[in-house]
Amino acid sequence: MRPKDPDVLIVGSGFSGIVAANVLADHHLDVLLLDENVHVGGQILRSVPERLGTQTAAVSDGVRRAGFRFINNLQRKKVHIMNRAVALGIYPNRELLVEVEGKRVLVLRPKIVLFATGARERFLPFPGWTLPGVISTGAVQILMKSSGVLFSREILIGGAGLFLLAVAHDFQKNGGKVMAVLDETPMTNKLLLLTQLVHHFSKLTQGVGYIAHLALAGVPIRYQTRILEARGDSQLKEVITSKVDRSGSATEGKKKAHETGALAVGYGFCPNIELPQLAGCCIEYDETKGGWVVKVSDQLESTVENVFAAGEITGIAGALKSLNEGRIAALAILRRLGKISEKDSSSKFERLGRERRQHLQFGRCFNRLYSVPDEAFRQIPPETIVCRCEDVTVGDVRRAIEQGCHTPGAVKKATRIGMGPCQGRTCGPVLYGLIAAYIRRSPQEIPLLSVRSPTKPVSMSALLTCDVP
Amino acid sequence: MVQDLRIPTIKRKDKLQIYVNGKPVTAYAGETVFSALQASHYTKFNRSKKLAAPRGALCGMGVCFGCQVSINGVKSQRSCMTDVEDRMEVEIDET
Repeated sequence: MRPKDPDVLIVGSGFSGIVAANVLADHHLDVLLLDENVHVGGQILRSVPERLGTQTAAVSDGVRRAGFRFINNLQRKKVHIMNRAVALGIYPNRELLVEVEGKRVLVLRPKIVLFATGARERFLPFPGWTLPGVISTGAVQILMKSSGVLFSREILIGGAGLFLLAVAHDFQKNGGKVMAVLDETPMTNKLLLLTQLVHHFSKLTQGVGYIAHLALAGVPIRYQTRILEARGDSQLKEVITSKVDRSGSATEGKKKAHETGALAVGYGFCPNIELPQLAGCCIEYDETKGGWVVKVSDQLESTVENVFAAGEITGIAGALKSLNEGRIAALAILRRLGKISEKDSSSKFERLGRERRQHLQFGRCFNRLYSVPDEAFRQIPPETIVCRCEDVTVGDVRRAIEQGCHTPGAVKKATRIGMGPCQGRTCGPVLYGLIAAYIRRSPQEIPLLSVRSPTKPVSMSALLTCDVP
Repeated sequence: MVQDLRIPTIKRKDKLQIYVNGKPVTAYAGETVFSALQASHYTKFNRSKKLAAPRGALCGMGVCFGCQVSINGVKSQRSCMTDVEDRMEVEIDET
């Protein structure tokens, strides 16, 4: 039997999703909130006991508290929540295919869809990054926040950007030992950011707080330092690093070996645009927003009517922007469904719009910190695996490009890159970077890999429960 | 015995037992299979398809499918997206 179609279906229960759900439910709309995780709250609002002592990157505690309040209100406001629900696909007229608990597949036809699918981490592969013992900075943070588990006793942290510092800080605070934080990018980038953060005082003090804490604990922070290689037979044993110059070239003769069984890496964030892309929404490239993002109007409507987008997928800028955009999207949806008049809401829109522009400005500074130069992609050795699912190497990709495959789709057909269970979510951004670097084009000239339904693996037994007329 | 990697200051919920390749392993309610495995120092979860090289988790948030294990006889389950249950049987490739 088909469940009743909701007025509004929200995909993703992070900040944007829960805030929008709260506002919409206040106006007695029938809201269905989907999330792939077992918990509501997304990556920032993982339900941690306060005594865990972890903090979240670039979110002051007040924001987190507000977030948990929004979550608590959802039930009282009768928002329908579906956890372990995966949106597998979206078809014309907002017809969605949703897998629930790995067991059944539903078809839903809401009046409005709000995508709030968040972001994932970016990577810059190096030989040995597939070895057990090498993990993402995000996963290290999630282990601490959700389960109170340290990935290891000691850890080396590397990559690019401020999130490395947040993870290092939390790891130390929870009793682990951070050997060093190694950042690809130059320190002057950070100083530049500090000068632009005067309007974002809480973020500024938090960043400075991390650095001070790590300095006190004696954790070295090294800039312009790249992870060249991870070594070990079947488990990480040693990490080789090198200094890099401003163009992204590793400097000869300045290599260093670190003995460690644990290495966490992260190179910034990448918006989860696959579902909006499948829905036919225009996806645009904007380096200052963190790459490919959903193109939205001031009201956060995508280029497809009645499909809205909020949060990191419209530009990476952190939880405060997501919270703000959850509100804007909800107001726009209320207007569309005739629940509030344009006249009554225009001053609210103006205020929220002003706030949004400030958050976007913060994002512009922030995303600059993570930008990896083309030369860094050209320097990845050929034996390095890019696609972890299908074991496709940089050499394989390079050969395909030399044979004339100048689009990600063509390289995919030639090499099977992006054809595994993650469907190119991990290797896709790397592939775009490799092609742009090799054929010397700007990233916006490289078309995205196509997305097809089902967007994530689904079992046949679940699919067969689907009741399609 | 090697100490587990749980942060000692955190109060845990119900203590459970899961089986990893038939061996009893302690876990706590509210943990994911991924975190219970990591807490007990398991880092090798499966092997890659083409090269059969050992692999562990990467993203920890359901994106990369690197942490797939067999749970109660069902293959290719993302351990980071599944909560532990008492007497759950988990199969990993730890060789």
